[in-house]
Amino acid sequence: MNSINKQTITKMGLYLIMAVIVIVMVVPFVWMLSTSLKSQEYILQTTPQLIPDPVTAESYVQLAERIEIFRIFFNSAFVAVMTTLGQILVSAMAAFAFARMEWRGRDTVFLLYLATMMVPAVVLVIPQFILVRSLGWINTYAGLIVPTLFSAFGTFLLRQSFLSLPKDFEEAAFVDGANRFTIFWRIILPLSQPALATLAIFSFMGSWNAYLWPLFAARRPEVMTLPVALGVLQSGPRALTEWNIVMAGAVVTVIPILLVYLLAQRWFVGGITAGGLKA
Amino acid sequence: MSRKLGLFIVSLMLIISIIPAVAQDNVTIRYFTFSAAPDHLEDLDAIIADFETQNEGITVEVTTAPFGDYFTLLQADVVSGDAPDVFELNYENFVTYAANGTLLDISEYLSGDAPYYPRALEAFQYEGVQLALPETFSTVLLFYNADLFDEAGVDYPTEEWTWDVATLAAEAINALGEDTWGIYQPVQFWEFYKKAAQNGDCEFFNEDMTESTINSEACVETLEMMMSFMENGLMPTAAELSGVSDSELFLNGDVGMIVTGIWMFGAFAEADFNWDVQIEPAINQHAHHFFANGVAVSSTTEHAEAAAAWAEFLTASETAAQVRVDSAWELPALDQPAYFENYLELTPPGNREAVFLALESPVTPPVIERQNEMQDAVNGLITQYVDGMLTAQEALDQAKDAIDALIQ
Repeated sequence: MNSINKQTITKMGLYLIMAVIVIVMVVPFVWMLSTSLKSQEYILQTTPQLIPDPVTAESYVQLAERIEIFRIFFNSAFVAVMTTLGQILVSAMAAFAFARMEWRGRDTVFLLYLATMMVPAVVLVIPQFILVRSLGWINTYAGLIVPTLFSAFGTFLLRQSFLSLPKDFEEAAFVDGANRFTIFWRIILPLSQPALATLAIFSFMGSWNAYLWPLFAARRPEVMTLPVALGVLQSGPRALTEWNIVMAGAVVTVIPILLVYLLAQRWFVGGITAGGLKA
Repeated sequence: MSRKLGLFIVSLMLIISIIPAVAQDNVTIRYFTFSAAPDHLEDLDAIIADFETQNEGITVEVTTAPFGDYFTLLQADVVSGDAPDVFELNYENFVTYAANGTLLDISEYLSGDAPYYPRALEAFQYEGVQLALPETFSTVLLFYNADLFDEAGVDYPTEEWTWDVATLAAEAINALGEDTWGIYQPVQFWEFYKKAAQNGDCEFFNEDMTESTINSEACVETLEMMMSFMENGLMPTAAELSGVSDSELFLNGDVGMIVTGIWMFGAFAEADFNWDVQIEPAINQHAHHFFANGVAVSSTTEHAEAAAAWAEFLTASETAAQVRVDSAWELPALDQPAYFENYLELTPPGNREAVFLALESPVTPPVIERQNEMQDAVNGLITQYVDGMLTAQEALDQAKDAIDALIQ
């Protein structure tokens, strides 16, 4: 009896702690939504309202007036989808070469490739910018997508997954006359769906949220992505930022990623654990 | 031989016949700006439209960036050898770009009859060469909530006020209630060099700029005076503000006085209380910020003449001046009182003359080549003082060392 009580209390304590963490995580989102539904004069109130009164969609209308939100939303979606597909393809092919093919210096090259993860992205921005500019890709989709296709992280993630597949499948296919590409395409890829899904989520999120590179590479509204457009909405030090509009923009930005996350949550958590255990 | 000569002559004639055609070709000037987005893009378009009508064959293509990222992007463009033809610079960053040879000497392209404020024009000279044109200026004033002054039974600020008088008024307003503060004035680099000028004896550098004197007794005294409002509970700390900006605090009617820029006139117009402005109180003398934005032409531009024409039009034309004044953008740096008539008539604030009165005691920021590093270092140390981690003397001693290292 005593031990059951003790268990219940421990469990209650645990749930309490989890509830607190959940609240801490959720409040900013609730606040974002609430602010986006207020009109300007209610945002600055000394006694803040959690539930807006009156509720108004005015901020969303103003958002559409300030920036070409549909075009920018399309840009973000297009770039994120293309980046995800491209990154999966490139990473999978590289991972196949690193995991399933024997060639001299393979592991050294792999280590060197992995070592690029240690270089902070900020350091690479200027050289990358100069390169992309000399290719004439500034303010184009190509400039936004191509430089992000090559991901050491993605290659690593998929290599670990490919390594865990039994060699027998491959050998059996080989005996049946399959070439390397068929093995890669028909055997390895279908068997690695969880890892591919994980990478897809990571690269979609990475691309959707990216700020620094799109800021450099896409400054014109025709190719601008959502995070950069949100930055434009925030005034400089010399004016008041209209937070309701910024928050409306943030809601629009967050919804797709929230949907992707909710739909793919299983792969997401699974992928992290798998990657973690085998690293 | 004669055949070769004939061929040469024919090709020469061909080239000559092409040259005027090339010269008449349309020129596109790329202009990069931080001051237009997001609120004044249409105003900028109006200026461009007029320029393009008057200068057939020149097209201006605008790129904007948020202020916070503007200088990072500009630097990237310059480094990659593809700088925009014309771009905005604030005064603090002007010297950095001028010293690095990024800016074109535009004197030879100027019409010479543009009515710039002489002081503003001088501000954008480097080693005697005109490397940018003054575009706009602004200053910082004392804004006050007249309703709170009435409630506390205090007289409104006057031109004769000193900070001691302002402190008494702040105390009376502060006593009105728990959520009401007497005053807000930022404690940071920009405010500090101005207060130093109001003190009169605090100089950031010795005369020949070889050593910093920022840790002198007068400077320590000035910094301590700035901090006294917070120490006496007349001004909220960062924690008490909890993310609300000082201007939002004012707009909410929660603070009696605030020291901020005239660029807030538009935003404060919607306040539901009476407010006005006055020149800043003095310590030993008056001193007011003189902030200026300039427009420069890149030294690598292929269309120097067209670029300079745009720079001059943007900064000195009547169209540009009127658009800026009418749309409550920033004020053109032009010595043409007629342009400002409309501006002076607008209310609030009633006392717009204070803007021009403040310009009689202008202070420009102390500028060195490694400007951003100096600002960051000094701001960091002032923050440590505000947070109570250093005394004023310690913070400024360390600031002196940091600045000395930067000017060596």
